[in-house]
Amino acid sequence: MSSSLLCMEKKGSTVRRDKRRVLRLIAATAPALLAGGFLAIKVYAGANGRVPSNVTFSPETAAAAASGDAFRGMLLARRCAHCHGDEGFSPVAATPNLAGMDRLTNWKQLQDFRDHKRSSRVMEPIAASLSTQDMADVVAYYARLPVFVDFQDNRAFPQAAPSAQQAEVATRLVSFGDGERGIPPCQACHGPVAYRPGAPALMTQNGDYLLQQLEAFANGGRTNDINESMRVITSLLTESEKQALARYYGGGLGAGGTMAGK
Amino acid sequence: MLLTILVLCLIPATRFYQIDEPVLRRFERHKEVDPLALHLSGEFAEGNLGTQQNADGSVTVRMIAEQYLFVPHCVLVPAGVPVHVRVTSADAVHSFAIEGTEYAVKASPGSINAAQLDFPSPGTYKTACREFCGPGHYAMRSEVRVVPREQFPALHGEERVDCAAR
Repeated sequence: MSSSLLCMEKKGSTVRRDKRRVLRLIAATAPALLAGGFLAIKVYAGANGRVPSNVTFSPETAAAAASGDAFRGMLLARRCAHCHGDEGFSPVAATPNLAGMDRLTNWKQLQDFRDHKRSSRVMEPIAASLSTQDMADVVAYYARLPVFVDFQDNRAFPQAAPSAQQAEVATRLVSFGDGERGIPPCQACHGPVAYRPGAPALMTQNGDYLLQQLEAFANGGRTNDINESMRVITSLLTESEKQALARYYGGGLGAGGTMAGK
Repeated sequence: MLLTILVLCLIPATRFYQIDEPVLRRFERHKEVDPLALHLSGEFAEGNLGTQQNADGSVTVRMIAEQYLFVPHCVLVPAGVPVHVRVTSADAVHSFAIEGTEYAVKASPGSINAAQLDFPSPGTYKTACREFCGPGHYAMRSEVRVVPREQFPALHGEERVDCAAR
């Protein structure tokens, strides 16, 4: 009797249904809490058709991303230099460095900005104004910019170095991950040990920008990672670990820098 | 003499190469899912992953194994009901092995591997990738939480559930 009533309610009103789902969540979680073990149960509407990104890393995409003319890209990139720096090293720590970035990586992000899969008030209109050929040209230009690791030059690493404790935590996560919690090592996808298609090299990335993105992935502000990879990993990291990782890369340790060199 | 032996040695190698290519092409044609386009649509799109309740009381779990994660990272299933697992891979060959049991479901790119598992009692099972897949292989672990049937949330229609802290 009660279940049939619920069914009628479900057809009638979606607002009430949401409320009921929350109640059901609490009801489902409460016994587990009482039993002593915390269990975060998440019910979500399946088959919602949400697509994280329209890009697939197929041979066709790779060919399109590699078809650019770097010289034409250099002319187009004058618009980018204001935020991303003349040589691909951003003067603002909250804006990513693009020097030496893999073509496929930048290509995917530009496509996602254009398709509103990744949100940015600045980058969405810029990406919408670029043609497919323009995107290929710009990514070709940034891929050819040299990555320099000069610790005397603050253009590359304007941020403070991590504390000794942060460096230790981050070094462990970057090189080994955390097997107990199922966190893969960062360097298995973000280099220099190995890469995966579309994963940016982080060796010379800005710390502030990295922290922003780690937090955005964790709290659902950024959802354009294919197959939820970064959303899952950031949900496993603690707040202090995210900060340590951002400082580690921002301070140049990922590029082989040392604490003494800073 | 030596030259003849060398030439004879080369023949099987060439043969194998010639045999290999049509086999690979046939494999391409029989791909059940496109491992590069799992996120665009179909069974392994984002909203479809997780545990689904079936009409007969059993549950279906859909998972993606990718370098170096299982998604969802924490699978929630009720105890004592048949669990139909459907796994595919987005890149390399992985294997979803559940510690403390004999279960291991292979995840291969391009094909859907289905298995029926049964967890008689509640508990937390650690899982690990059992097929070497790259530099992050040893950290590719997750877990299966088996809860008593009354603690498993009632799912309606297309709803999915998992216990990953997303």
